[in-house]
Amino acid sequence: MTWYYFRLECLRMLRDPRYLAMAVITPVGFYLLFATIFGKDPAKPGELKGTIEIMVAMAAYGGIWGALSATGPRIAHERSSGWLEQLRSMPLATRQVMAAKLAAGMVVALPALLLVCATGAAFKGVGLDAWQWAAMAAAMWVGCLPFALLGIAIGYAVGGETAFPLSYAVYLAMSILGGLWVPPSVLPASFRTVADALPTYRLADLGWHIAGGGAPAAADVAVLAGWTVGLGLLATWVYRRPRRSAAAAA
Amino acid sequence: MDTAISVQAVTKRYGALVAVDDVTLDIPRGRTVALLGPNGAGKSTTVAMLMGLTEPDTGSVTVGDRPPRAAVAAGGIAAMLQDSGLMPGVTVAELIELGRRLYPAPLSTAEALELAGLTTLSRRRVDRLSGGQAQRVKFALVAVANPETMLLDEPTRALDVQGRREFWTAMRAYTASGRTVLFATHYLEEVEENADRVVVMARGRIVADGTPAELRTGAGSAIVRFRLPVDAARPVLPGTVTVDDGWVTVRTDDPDAAVRALASGPHRWQDLSVIPPSLDDSFLRLTTEEPR
Repeated sequence: MTWYYFRLECLRMLRDPRYLAMAVITPVGFYLLFATIFGKDPAKPGELKGTIEIMVAMAAYGGIWGALSATGPRIAHERSSGWLEQLRSMPLATRQVMAAKLAAGMVVALPALLLVCATGAAFKGVGLDAWQWAAMAAAMWVGCLPFALLGIAIGYAVGGETAFPLSYAVYLAMSILGGLWVPPSVLPASFRTVADALPTYRLADLGWHIAGGGAPAAADVAVLAGWTVGLGLLATWVYRRPRRSAAAAA
Repeated sequence: MDTAISVQAVTKRYGALVAVDDVTLDIPRGRTVALLGPNGAGKSTTVAMLMGLTEPDTGSVTVGDRPPRAAVAAGGIAAMLQDSGLMPGVTVAELIELGRRLYPAPLSTAEALELAGLTTLSRRRVDRLSGGQAQRVKFALVAVANPETMLLDEPTRALDVQGRREFWTAMRAYTASGRTVLFATHYLEEVEENADRVVVMARGRIVADGTPAELRTGAGSAIVRFRLPVDAARPVLPGTVTVDDGWVTVRTDDPDAAVRALASGPHRWQDLSVIPPSLDDSFLRLTTEEPR
């Protein structure tokens, strides 16, 4: 059953110390650090408290890496190691494999996201209504989908050696430009324009709106949906692009 | 039908390279057939087409009367591929369990592990296996499918002599129940010991097809050697006879006739041995011949 394959994909991710370190511990650590330094000021009218704003940003930061690292580097590595070739020789279609990987990427994004929220609630006095917690987590989780698709595109575009550094570089750049480290509101206008177009910013903004007691902004949903469709098409194209067959060597 | 594998007039090109050139091959059920040939002979491409991993340009391939992909899905055929790898981060037992769940009529995971000699390693992470152990995991992935037909593309490559012996011991136990096996290899002693038929490929074509003994015969002379008393007359036997210090060497295309003549003749011979033509010679000659 594909179900069992999906289970193994999740298991191996959760067993990977690198996943725990980079997708779970790092965002929680940064959150505790930043919230302690910048979270003291009382909230200005119409703005979120620092402890909440940073919590949402770091939850996004963790979730994104969970989704991206479960797909990109792994797919590239498995293409070169021959595991995907092995799977092709078994009764499992590649699209089922990719669907399982996509789903596993989403699953492992969730703990990364939730742990930052739990840290905010437990240690930084973040008090949201139950519906806000639920809506925020659900919305931001779904918002991680374009990053899992980006991972599939990277995994099929580059080799096993390149995929990890490339994924990480893209992740860092998009996170910084998307205002996960420094809120775009304090940056020059040109940065704001870039951030507005990035899925990283839109993912955090989704959470900020809900944490602020409002509904998600239509623009956030629209931009994230656009990236999802765009990256989905890119991943499909990269995957279908003709490649030199491994069998050609013999 | 009693045909496990049927390849009919198949050609496969990669750009300018003709990897498989008008190959026809029928393998009846229950046979163990060796596919022999130097690198680039078209063995792996043939295996890939039998698994439906690549399509022939012309001709047809069927596995147990089904198209390859249908045979794979039904668990009728399973392969150890040359360039395949294993899923990292899971245990041996988890990986074999994945295989078990993908096939319609599998062995139990425990049986497959047992057959591959992996029972004690079942909880080991796949990434922490030696080359030989990883090769046995690949075999277990084939075994768990419980297939009628197995393809083994250089299954013992990267194994030491001991590992090769263990592998084939496990394999023979597995194939005793009438499975069909097609294996590609470089090791001629594996062919001698395990195959009842040898198909030799070179430059994408089948250049020889027969039993190991027939192929050897094609290689030319066998040698019959024995000792005679020093004062004995030079014997007259079919073949080229040389005598050296009481040892008689007969080079002959027909060692049976030479031995019969010797046995029915008057000679007081001792220490008889017959050295068959080596398959190595035969193999070299077949695969290095210029294309016709």
